[in-house]
Amino acid sequence: MSSLSANDTDTHAQDNGNGPVAGKTYWRSLEELEQTPEFAEMLRREFPDDDPQKLPPFTRRRFLQLMGASVALAGTTGCWRAEKILPFANRPEGRIPGNADYYATGFEIGGVVRGVVATSHDGRPTKIEGNPNHPMSLGATDAQTQGVVLELYDPDRSKKVMKRSGDALTESSWDAFNAELETLREELRADRGAGLAVLSGATSSPTLRAQRDRLKTRYPQATWYEYEAVQRDNERAGVRAAFGSALRPQYDLSGIERLLTLDDDLFVNHPAGLRLSREFADARRPEEGRTPRSYAVESNFSRTGATADHRLPVRSSEIGAFVAALGRAIASKPAFSSKPGHAAFTSGAAPSVAGERAQKFLDAVAEDLATHPGTCLVTVGAKQPADVHEAVHRLNALLGNVGKTVSYIEDPRGDAPAGTQEISDLVAAMKGGRVKTLFILGGNPVYDAPGDSGFAEALGSVGRSIHIGLFVDETARRSAWHLPRTHSLEEWGDGIAWDGTWTVCQPLIQPLYEGKAASEVLAILSSDDVVTSYELVRRTFRERFGADGFSAKWRRAVHDGVVADSAPTTTAPSPTNASSLLASARGKSVGGAAQGLEVTFNACNAVFDGRFANNGWLQELPDFMTKLAWDNAAIVAPETAKATGARTGQIARIEIHGKSIELPVYEMPGHAPDSVTLTLGYGRKHAGGIGGSVEQGVDPVGCDVNPIRHIGAMEIATGAKMSGTGGKKTLALTQDHHAIDKIGLKGIDDRLGALYREGTLEEFKEHPDFAQHVVHVPPLKSLWSDFTYEGHKWGMTIDLDKCNGCDACVISCQAENNIPIVGQENVAKGREMHWLRIDRYFSGDPETPEVVGQPVTCAHCELAPCEQVCPVAATVHSDEGLNDMIYNRCVGTRYCANNCPYKVRRFNYFNYHKNLKDRSNDSIKMVFNPEVTVRNRGVMEKCTFCVQRIQGAKINAKNNRRPLEDGEIRTACQEACPTQAITFGDLNNEDSRVRKFAESDRSYAMLAELNIKPRLMYLAKIRNPNPTLEPASHGHGHGHDSHGGHDDHGHDHAADDHGSHG
Amino acid sequence: MKFPLWSNRAFVLALVFLGSVPVYVICVMAFATMPGTVSVGYAPEQPVPFSHRLHAGDLGLDCRYCHNTVEESAHAAVPPTHTCMNCHTNIRNDSPLLAPIRESYETGEPVEWNRVHDLPDYAYFNHSAHVTRGIGCASCHGRIDTMEVVTQQEPLSMGWCLDCHREPEQHLRPLDRITDMEWAPENQLEIGRRLRQEYNINPSTSCSTCHR
Repeated sequence: MSSLSANDTDTHAQDNGNGPVAGKTYWRSLEELEQTPEFAEMLRREFPDDDPQKLPPFTRRRFLQLMGASVALAGTTGCWRAEKILPFANRPEGRIPGNADYYATGFEIGGVVRGVVATSHDGRPTKIEGNPNHPMSLGATDAQTQGVVLELYDPDRSKKVMKRSGDALTESSWDAFNAELETLREELRADRGAGLAVLSGATSSPTLRAQRDRLKTRYPQATWYEYEAVQRDNERAGVRAAFGSALRPQYDLSGIERLLTLDDDLFVNHPAGLRLSREFADARRPEEGRTPRSYAVESNFSRTGATADHRLPVRSSEIGAFVAALGRAIASKPAFSSKPGHAAFTSGAAPSVAGERAQKFLDAVAEDLATHPGTCLVTVGAKQPADVHEAVHRLNALLGNVGKTVSYIEDPRGDAPAGTQEISDLVAAMKGGRVKTLFILGGNPVYDAPGDSGFAEALGSVGRSIHIGLFVDETARRSAWHLPRTHSLEEWGDGIAWDGTWTVCQPLIQPLYEGKAASEVLAILSSDDVVTSYELVRRTFRERFGADGFSAKWRRAVHDGVVADSAPTTTAPSPTNASSLLASARGKSVGGAAQGLEVTFNACNAVFDGRFANNGWLQELPDFMTKLAWDNAAIVAPETAKATGARTGQIARIEIHGKSIELPVYEMPGHAPDSVTLTLGYGRKHAGGIGGSVEQGVDPVGCDVNPIRHIGAMEIATGAKMSGTGGKKTLALTQDHHAIDKIGLKGIDDRLGALYREGTLEEFKEHPDFAQHVVHVPPLKSLWSDFTYEGHKWGMTIDLDKCNGCDACVISCQAENNIPIVGQENVAKGREMHWLRIDRYFSGDPETPEVVGQPVTCAHCELAPCEQVCPVAATVHSDEGLNDMIYNRCVGTRYCANNCPYKVRRFNYFNYHKNLKDRSNDSIKMVFNPEVTVRNRGVMEKCTFCVQRIQGAKINAKNNRRPLEDGEIRTACQEACPTQAITFGDLNNEDSRVRKFAESDRSYAMLAELNIKPRLMYLAKIRNPNPTLEPASHGHGHGHDSHGGHDDHGHDHAADDHGSHG
Repeated sequence: MKFPLWSNRAFVLALVFLGSVPVYVICVMAFATMPGTVSVGYAPEQPVPFSHRLHAGDLGLDCRYCHNTVEESAHAAVPPTHTCMNCHTNIRNDSPLLAPIRESYETGEPVEWNRVHDLPDYAYFNHSAHVTRGIGCASCHGRIDTMEVVTQQEPLSMGWCLDCHREPEQHLRPLDRITDMEWAPENQLEIGRRLRQEYNINPSTSCSTCHR
């Protein structure tokens, strides 16, 4: 029998006491793997960080200031209040009170617009979904997009015009500002705009760009700058160098067979990540015997790296050397020696590759790419230098990929120069006294400009600085004027998506405060004849698409959110001639001895460059790889941490260019050695009550790393020093939660290999149902009589082969189900409230581990352990198989949470909505989904399979006297998922997709051996490792050959129908 | 060993206390289920003395002329001011009683009505699911067409909801009789059983049917 035969937990658990006998050894964290004293202490204390001496004072429970109280539930169970009904005086046509409306819109991050559909309940947007019509969304969203709706209602948003008087900003008015503007316009007219500068964030908005041109025409001496802390300038420069013109690469992964990502989180941190995730997931078809093979070479462990079949940790500063070596290896192959462009890779000295592992990896990748011309792709991360981008694009051309897996469009922002260059120029102009008036349109350069740019100091020398923004942030506080800006859900706008698609962004709600759109302020400044964002956007649209049939075209564009087929056609250009490449990589070797530490700066997957720092949902989102919430850390390899003496949770000082910061260390297995990954977006001092605010007495969340960012090395800096300071900090890490004690931990460890099931494509072809044979159990009999389900039988499947851990589902669930945030201290205590979490497991060698992620939510067991212990029947089974949680019955014994094997039940330790009665939190009430009860203190809660959506769809179908269609009900997590890994539906419907998946070969139920009959099924992950690279340790069974076969050994497969035999 | 003297008194007190517990429980239960407690008979005064007896009864307006979202939404929305003014622009357009309506019409500010039928916020009742499936308005709201001031007729308690979810045939009526206030057939059970078959009515009594 092959290695794929059955594996019996009953027996192997006792075999040697070291966890699973064969197959992979999974572990949850380094601390657990190494059994550090800290971990042992955590086990001993039962609840992490539950030292009563260390309980924070009440005022530090910041969440109480934030999410406010429930008007709905708090205190209403006992007393009843008369309510008013306020109908419309004149109800808009088509509006049905109580029914949600859906509007296509969009919003922009970093010069690329994202297409979304916003849900509006009685006029207030409550939820963001992807726009299925939008080619860059395909109906999916990412976590940040989900958070945008909370930003709209943030009580810390700027509400009034502010004017500097002395050291402080005091309240002013638009009238006062308009008077100031009148004087300004007089001056500008007189000297043709000399002394006027505008600093904008990167924007693709055709309206704003037209206004820029208008401004320049009106005031020829005025200057316009663009700056973003996180940008793709190097990519633009690299593509220009390779092809001689401003182009934007468009990847197409639909027919991909081999993918190499170089320091690139392609699926998550790329403007086209949603589409690429979908294409890559769709290309994975193990059932058809094929699945792409992906390689990742990177310093930090990215989520794209986690999904790769093979990953090589290489310092970011050595990626160029890797590309040079790879290019040389490919170009030297006979098949390529006659191709144009190969000479550039083979000229010059060969870069050295240190270490057998790296060399082997490189050879295997080179061979694999060379044998898949036209169906492979090499991508490189935005933070790599321009010449690495150039080399990669030339390499793709050499491999015949151009026009197939990568093509190009004319860069919609082709005329924009590099942002870092611009900020230096602007600072020079400010210091030189050439800027008398500075408009800052959005953005927060005082916080996010690199430390040595001197922007903050130079701003003081500008006579009239005017900041337009959503928040009174760091930049606002240094400016002479602050103007409140409307949120993207409050203003008309437009933008260009990554593929060039024209996107119209409509408002969902009147401005909550006295804000104006940036386009409106610019219109006043340039004395435009139209001054509302609506008219401005319409004018741009008319200019682009013509006045003929304008009304119909406009209405269609607003309705769809996109202008169909407005993306430019892609081209397959040929690279220019080059004699040598990769000047920056010369003299470097891959994996050689490091010359000091390198430091890389990455946008945060949650708070991005800091713009979402005051967003509680995003702050509380545990990062997929680190499982760290409410903080950033210096992420290093364990060996680097050991060398510097600062381990996970200990404070390290990082010094570079004579500047230093201090922040806690996080040891990431698989991180490149002698490399430090720092996350941008933390340490905000004027973000607000969540992200940190000096005025409100709220400490900044995390550490600001911008001070050590250097204008000449914005992304990757070398020559850093790191040393332990002896300090410590409690990190809110969620992965080790629910570790009970040594015995419990051993139980978990023994089971890990059975919780997550994966195999290789070869194994899958040989034994398609291997996942169902990982655990064998004796025939299971229940004390309870089985339920019967005559109508619907709801179930869910999660395809682990597709999931890439992007976290969109977690925030989507939070937004849909009114899930509170609890704050850093409570997350550290294991009190996070997320109904859906993503477990992350390492496996294999800690230096080069593999990583898997597994979304876990309530499995709605048919024989649910929680139901059996509830003393008040607050959790009971519905006739459609849902495990109902009835909040108004719950008395908070928490027996159910104790008895839940998945640990998905969440308890409201406090009234997290307490302060909603506070008038200042009025706005935040508006984010609640009215279809879901807001829970009070002392109540248990958990995933309901979005029962409100189930009921809504059922009622709709019944009202219309038609059967419910498969796919009509989409849970919030399913809707957000870019890879469509989550499927929900009726298991009683023979044609439903969920039934097809649940009955497929790869399907298995987690912990089915407990006889709980879970309704949440997983589909095993299928890797496609390169046979020439030794697979880490694949295989799932330990080959217990004593079994004659599967069908006659008298054991039941856990996923089978119980009692069918045996 | 001897009990101290005060234990005599304590024993009597304990007996009295124990004896009063069932009395207390019974009183609480009785109070909790009294019609007044569950708001039966609740009839708040409205800003405009709108008479359902006049409009729905004497004039015979269909319920859905004003409550026109009832078949599509969870809410049978209170009509917008413009609905009132469809008629009252011409009829009794100077009545002082209608002053709040005219004011709302002119200013666009809503009229503040007092809610009569108020369910707890954790119960999600859906009007459309009932009126499109054979439950008439009068089944829950009573004879609105006879009410000068709208009064709550039924307890709207969970037990009352469940009574009908368990035996819908007691209340089912043909779909063209939904807003008929006078519908009261002799053979309700017979009709109800037939309609239950015909409309395929199988009300769920699972918690998540109403609680989410």
